[in-house]
Amino acid sequence: MMLPATIWQREAIEFAQRRRALVIKLAFPLLIAIPLVLSGAPVIYAAMGITMLITIIGSIGAGAVLTRDRQSGLTLRYRTLPVTPGRLLLERLGSNAAIDFLQVLPILLLIWLRHPGTVAWWPALVMGTAAVLLIGNLLGAVASTVSDSPGEVMLYVVIPLLPLLFIAGVFTPATGPIWLAVTRLMPFSYLHEAVLGALAGSPTILPWEALLGAFGFLVGAAGLTGRLGRRVLEAE
Amino acid sequence: MKDATASEPNLLAASGLSRRYRGGKGVFDVNLKLAPGEILGLMGPNGSGKTTLLRMLATAATPTSGGIKWFGNSNPRDPSVRRRLGIMLDQPAHFDQMTGYQNAWFFARQFGLSAQFARERLEELFNWSGLAEARDQLVAEYSLGMKRRLNLVEALVHRPAILMLDEPTLALDYRGELELIERLQLLTLTGTAVVMTTNDVHLVERLCDYVLFLHEGRLIREGRVPDLLSEVAGSKEVELQLNSPTSLDGLRELPGVEAASVEGDVVRVVLGPDANPARVLAVLSDTADLVSTMRVRRPTLGDVFLKLTGVTLPASRR
Repeated sequence: MMLPATIWQREAIEFAQRRRALVIKLAFPLLIAIPLVLSGAPVIYAAMGITMLITIIGSIGAGAVLTRDRQSGLTLRYRTLPVTPGRLLLERLGSNAAIDFLQVLPILLLIWLRHPGTVAWWPALVMGTAAVLLIGNLLGAVASTVSDSPGEVMLYVVIPLLPLLFIAGVFTPATGPIWLAVTRLMPFSYLHEAVLGALAGSPTILPWEALLGAFGFLVGAAGLTGRLGRRVLEAE
Repeated sequence: MKDATASEPNLLAASGLSRRYRGGKGVFDVNLKLAPGEILGLMGPNGSGKTTLLRMLATAATPTSGGIKWFGNSNPRDPSVRRRLGIMLDQPAHFDQMTGYQNAWFFARQFGLSAQFARERLEELFNWSGLAEARDQLVAEYSLGMKRRLNLVEALVHRPAILMLDEPTLALDYRGELELIERLQLLTLTGTAVVMTTNDVHLVERLCDYVLFLHEGRLIREGRVPDLLSEVAGSKEVELQLNSPTSLDGLRELPGVEAASVEGDVVRVVLGPDANPARVLAVLSDTADLVSTMRVRRPTLGDVFLKLTGVTLPASRR
């Protein structure tokens, strides 16, 4: 029997022990990604679909879990642990994002198998995925503070997410200097560019720019998660 | 912020403690102190603020105003404070998809126990709580009573200096309650202090040194158990089970009636030393169809509360 000594170990053990949920979690992204990557769909649509999929996987999981924890009284128990709220939230969201990364890893491997020649985009793709998953988890965590049910949290996550994805140029390519500049303020744009590159499409930035942008957002999201610990975990 | 010293012997001290909710409910201006080895009982009907007060003391809720010092330290988020608190909240919340032992192990390690010490403590506590055979069962399969016992294990595992228990005997069977009482009595001998919310008057009378009565969020009375009981010394509690609900018209005017309440078809009356229980029966028989049972008992803390507020404590109806 695996025994959890830390918060991330606990999250990992619970994830591994729920076998049915584990199979579903790992299988459902592939069901969407396989036709997108292997069917020869236009790269622009495949990149849009995969970026949205990764963003939604990151956002919904943590929000739903934290809402359920709040309702069951687990959040209150977490509050009484001898751990600062910032570290607690960072450990929880970090481990959730890592589990989400495992969930999307088969998609990334699928892209690699289909387009082995786009290796220059791989660091940016991995970094962009990590950044978007952590930001998605943080968005879900914040949404959980105003939600009464896991269903409600999905609504609160999707409502801001869709316009943000649009602004990031995920649905239609950004045009004009202002919109282009604004897309660079959106973490999703770096992932989208990296997916486009990895699928042998036509990204508008270089691989190192996407890598650097994604890295900046990953560090920023980690810092913000630490700072929002009290607000998220001590919200009534 | 400083550690508790000889000049500040209280493990816990709260002053002017308030927490207001929207709608006007909450806890208002409560002061309390807790010395080593002391057991403090918080009593009051549902909605009186017991759980809110305990959550503030347990660092799970933030006061709107007032302050709390734990071991002389006023920072509720200081890990050194929380490591010395053992908390059992009202909801038996666990990670349902992990076993009872995995849950307890996680909390033990979070409170800084080494793997070796956690193993020893958990073995002893799982045997004590009667959960040893169910330790590898998922918590999702536990009954409410088992979840509450697991909460107790988790609250006790790190040998806290203060135990905070919300309705600790809820869902425990008679044996479990007895074992809990013995355990708490033993712990207080080593200096562990206990704060508990409960309306089990017999538990409080047997275990608690000091009691706070809460009503509508306010501290309406406090004192040592014998002092509070002396207020109803010589009185009698009459409990009548009726076949149909009735009002208390006429009953409160009866000479010798100190307090009376009715909930559903149960009437409780506190009679002074010289009052005759038979007269209660006579008054009620005019309005009620028939009294099915009548019991005359020695007065309890529940009767003290009834005298003060006119409200019956839920569990004291037993």
